[in-house]
Amino acid sequence: MKLRSLLKLPDRIGWRDHVIGAALGLVYVVWLLATARSLGFPRDEGVYFRAGTDYVRWWRMLFDHGSAALSQSAIDAAWSTNHEHPALMKTLFGVSWWLFHETWHVFRDASTAYRLPGMMSAGVTLWVIYLFGARAWSRRAGLVAAALFALMPRVFFHAHLACFDVPITALWILCVYVHWRAQERRGLGGTIAWAVAVGVVFGLALETKHNAWILPGVLVPHALFVHRRGLLRSLKVGRVSIPASLVSMAVLGPIVFYALWPYLWNDTLERVQWYVNFHLHHEYYNIEFLGKNYFGPPSPRAYLPVMIAATVPTVTLLLFGVGAFERGAVGVRRLRAWVRRTLEKPAGDAPPADPRETDLLLALALLAAVGPWFLPKTPIFGGTKHWMPAYPAMALFAGRGFEIVLAAMKRALPALRGRRLVAAEAGLAACVLAAPLAITVHSHPFGLSAYVPLVGGTAGGADLGLNRQFWGFTTQTAATEYLNPKAPRNATVFILDTTWDAWAHMQEEGRVRADLRVVGAPHEAMFSLVQHELHMSEVDYSIWVADQTDSPVYIVEHDGVPIVSIYRRP
Amino acid sequence: MTRDTWKRWAFAAIPAAGLLELGAHAVQTHSVVPQADWKAARDWVAGQVHPDDLVAFAPRWADPIGRETFGPSIATLEREARADETSFPRAFEVSIRGSHLPAFAQWKRVGEQRFGGVTVTTWENPAPAHVIDDLVSMVDPRQMRVERGDAGCTFVHGGAQSGGLGFGPAIPGDHFACPNGGFVAASVVADLDYVPHRCIYAPPPGGSGVVRIHFLDVHFGHALHGHHALYVEAERNRAGAPVTLTFKVGDDILGSVVHRDGDGWKPFELDTSALAGQNGELVAEIASESGERRMYCFEADTR
Repeated sequence: MKLRSLLKLPDRIGWRDHVIGAALGLVYVVWLLATARSLGFPRDEGVYFRAGTDYVRWWRMLFDHGSAALSQSAIDAAWSTNHEHPALMKTLFGVSWWLFHETWHVFRDASTAYRLPGMMSAGVTLWVIYLFGARAWSRRAGLVAAALFALMPRVFFHAHLACFDVPITALWILCVYVHWRAQERRGLGGTIAWAVAVGVVFGLALETKHNAWILPGVLVPHALFVHRRGLLRSLKVGRVSIPASLVSMAVLGPIVFYALWPYLWNDTLERVQWYVNFHLHHEYYNIEFLGKNYFGPPSPRAYLPVMIAATVPTVTLLLFGVGAFERGAVGVRRLRAWVRRTLEKPAGDAPPADPRETDLLLALALLAAVGPWFLPKTPIFGGTKHWMPAYPAMALFAGRGFEIVLAAMKRALPALRGRRLVAAEAGLAACVLAAPLAITVHSHPFGLSAYVPLVGGTAGGADLGLNRQFWGFTTQTAATEYLNPKAPRNATVFILDTTWDAWAHMQEEGRVRADLRVVGAPHEAMFSLVQHELHMSEVDYSIWVADQTDSPVYIVEHDGVPIVSIYRRP
Repeated sequence: MTRDTWKRWAFAAIPAAGLLELGAHAVQTHSVVPQADWKAARDWVAGQVHPDDLVAFAPRWADPIGRETFGPSIATLEREARADETSFPRAFEVSIRGSHLPAFAQWKRVGEQRFGGVTVTTWENPAPAHVIDDLVSMVDPRQMRVERGDAGCTFVHGGAQSGGLGFGPAIPGDHFACPNGGFVAASVVADLDYVPHRCIYAPPPGGSGVVRIHFLDVHFGHALHGHHALYVEAERNRAGAPVTLTFKVGDDILGSVVHRDGDGWKPFELDTSALAGQNGELVAEIASESGERRMYCFEADTR
């Protein structure tokens, strides 16, 4: 009886929901861990592995030698590595490596330990999405939203990596969520606690990736709108009152950002300025879109909508459309009622007011995350990963969409009761989750090559001239399928887009045969690899000339589409 | 069905869409063309193809699979890195997914064979050009002499030189090596659209310097037909100096063509009717105001 009452979910969202959210996240992390070894190392990961190792070495120095670690030379020696990105995630990558690989030997692969914090951030994202959806609409909406987010193939791919794109997604939605909770009316203690939480989480987001610079564009207008009446009242009596969460953001955010990044402790202004300028004037890399190679501004405005349509499962987008339309309609009705009240006419049947303005907040969280990719000067080389912070809000609207569809089903089938109703609900959930699940499972480990059925899958993406990969991580699959079993002992390999760091890590972990030797040019190599991207073709043709053959000996394919060509010098 | 009925059951569109997406995914992932189909197509083409026929693969992204399966004896460098299709009297287009190359849009379809998921379409060129001499095939010390400025260049048999992104076209082991690091060689350039073309890789030294290539015994026709380009990364920023290619016979200038950054794989044709039927030395001079990343390549033939 006691167990039963524990399992029975009360109406109020509480600790049991945290258990559900955490369990969702845990299942996802386990899935990521189970599939991590088949995914090679992208270029950036090798750099972040090294940075994480350097950073944790400094922390150990701090604990072992105290103030000696605080000299500028000691700080710069460790923290100059990859100082174009803040330190939080790299520090966690390093700590995880130190604890789970070096010290406790939990993971045999060092890379899995480095990757764990990124994977856990994906789990946290699911947890927050579930809680957000459950509190905003219903547990069912939260569950479906979390599942739809988890089952976006690109999210699944990036969630494996020791990179920053999924972590900033986690902190983006966590910051939005904490800010949302901070808008609730509470006693002084609660108000202060939630406001402090907003400041700290915003600081962590700033310390994760520069997407966080846009967050004030979400939180400030939202808080001002929520508190509009109080703010106007204050202004009328000559006072300016600012919501506590915004004050906390403005004060604690920069403090956390500064405190967690030792590289900024010296020459602070100069280094912050360099960091900001680096990202405001970021180099453009090559990326293919609709058969054209883009390598500089102007970026195509259609890039973001086309890539979302081509990579997010269509049923997810449809549910998002249903949810967003319904919430938009509610907003329009509220606006209409407000206009009528302002004109002193009867307001009619207005929807109830939402004191936390949830719809507005989620809409801003989505639009602010995608907005920069409509600007012609924003580089597009990162594919979909750079606007991933928009996806939790998209998934939440999709969760709401599911709830609306479910309600419509119940209205259409009023006779359904008891077990049959439960079965119908489960059937509906299966109908909307089966395709995203199948697509996501099938996409691995070619998450950047895979496209949704709407555009014809991987081959359809290739037909359209959409980017097939970047970062050279598919070299591992080339090794697994061909080089490891076929290459002669001590053979030389030209690895093109894969970094030597990544190759060395793959050899250390036994993913690539240890005797194979990397060389810097096709003419020095017995085997040359071409990871197929449009701009890599120039090297493909160089290999034809250097090797005097244009016929690869093996091709790594995904759904019949070439991913890596392997040439062998005759 | 009344409007109310439609409205009542409208929700079903969402689960239906989910199932449709699942079904489409299953179909798409199970309709990959098997290797056996490619091999069957290769065996058939191998029995039909003549040396002057073109064999091409569609869509373009399937080209590596075509090259792998058909091998270098059918998917030759001359076919894969062709200048254009005008000189081929017949083409075997090996395609999947119902794709066709735009180059054959005006050609006559004379046959089609299906091998499972692979279709071989035979096309006839309505007006094939008769090529007399291909200058790219003359990169050989017996047929060609090279000078860079006033210095002669020596033909060498060495190792190839190549690199990763940004290196430019590879320099084959057999090439003319000039003093001060210049060279002339037959290579393959990636044009602005990343399409490969066989060509004579002859970077100009810049300033008043000229690379002069003497084709020693050329059989002239009514036209000198060709193309020129710079390596994609050298011309895509559109910031480099133009490159001028001048053809001479004796003291007479046949014509000059200029390549400006952004022109891509640019065609040209010079009238040589006055020389038709004659043999002689043809000189190509390549010059540019600047030698800064002028990774220039040209091809031409007499026809």
